[in-house]
Amino acid sequence: MPLLPDRLPWYVAGPLIGLLLIVMYSAANRTIGVSGSYLEVLGFLRRRPSPERWRVWFFGGIFAGALAATALRGGPALGLDYGTLSRALPLAALVPLLFLAGLLMGYGARWAGGCTSGHGICGTSALSPGSFVATATFMAAAVVVTAVLHFVTGGAL
Amino acid sequence: MSGVGFLVGAGFGFALAAARLNDYDVIHNMLLLRELDVFLLMASAIAVAAPTLWVLSRRRWHTPLGGPLALQRCAVERKTVVGAMMFGTGWALAGTCPGPALAMVAGGGLLGLVVMVGLVAGLSLRDAVAARSSAPRAQRPLDRSIALGR
Repeated sequence: MPLLPDRLPWYVAGPLIGLLLIVMYSAANRTIGVSGSYLEVLGFLRRRPSPERWRVWFFGGIFAGALAATALRGGPALGLDYGTLSRALPLAALVPLLFLAGLLMGYGARWAGGCTSGHGICGTSALSPGSFVATATFMAAAVVVTAVLHFVTGGAL
Repeated sequence: MSGVGFLVGAGFGFALAAARLNDYDVIHNMLLLRELDVFLLMASAIAVAAPTLWVLSRRRWHTPLGGPLALQRCAVERKTVVGAMMFGTGWALAGTCPGPALAMVAGGGLLGLVVMVGLVAGLSLRDAVAARSSAPRAQRPLDRSIALGR
């Protein structure tokens, strides 16, 4: 019997994330940006010194928390499933596509100064003008690209 | 600081996985505008955090670990728009973003690792390009908190 509903409703998960933002800001005066944490982990692995080393712990926390949620549903099942995308594409095409998508996201997030967490949730909550523009832009771009994919694949995606 | 970081990260990762934001189809259906749950999730997070942070900063809240509360704000620049367009394109292709990709791997979705490798490559590549283009000209020092925080 899973202890967690199949999908935690948005009106629980959203406010929970809002509270976590308040905790991070009010306790430590820091934002929760995930893309920056990737670089912090990279720096840690390369033994480069950094004043923001705590972000490695934040990164580890995300993994641990997601693992806990998965365990409450009956544990992680290791596999290469990628939902509709893995049914539409063979693995040989999926791997390079996902790498390219990651590359675009990484480059774009660094250029724009943040991703869905840093700009989309944190920056907007801090009423940062650049974050509102970044969020509106990446959402609009993503909706347009998704619509194009849907059209080009004849509704397969 | 590390302890707070870990706990906040754990709560964040839990929320992402519990709400299935680490599932390609949840994000894909969001971006197809088939269901609005993830938009509402983000909006409700902001609706909780924004007013509280505003009041705390107005009252000059002193954070126990990081000095006086200073909300990080950034201006609108060309790079904000161009970078966000690239980010949005990758987001649409992968149906995941940096946090959910990590939560995807924690949930056993091994292909999330491919996205993560791409992310590290892209983030590092941007830093390398920025270092190259700013080398000849003197550039004002990068605001480290913003650079790392976002």
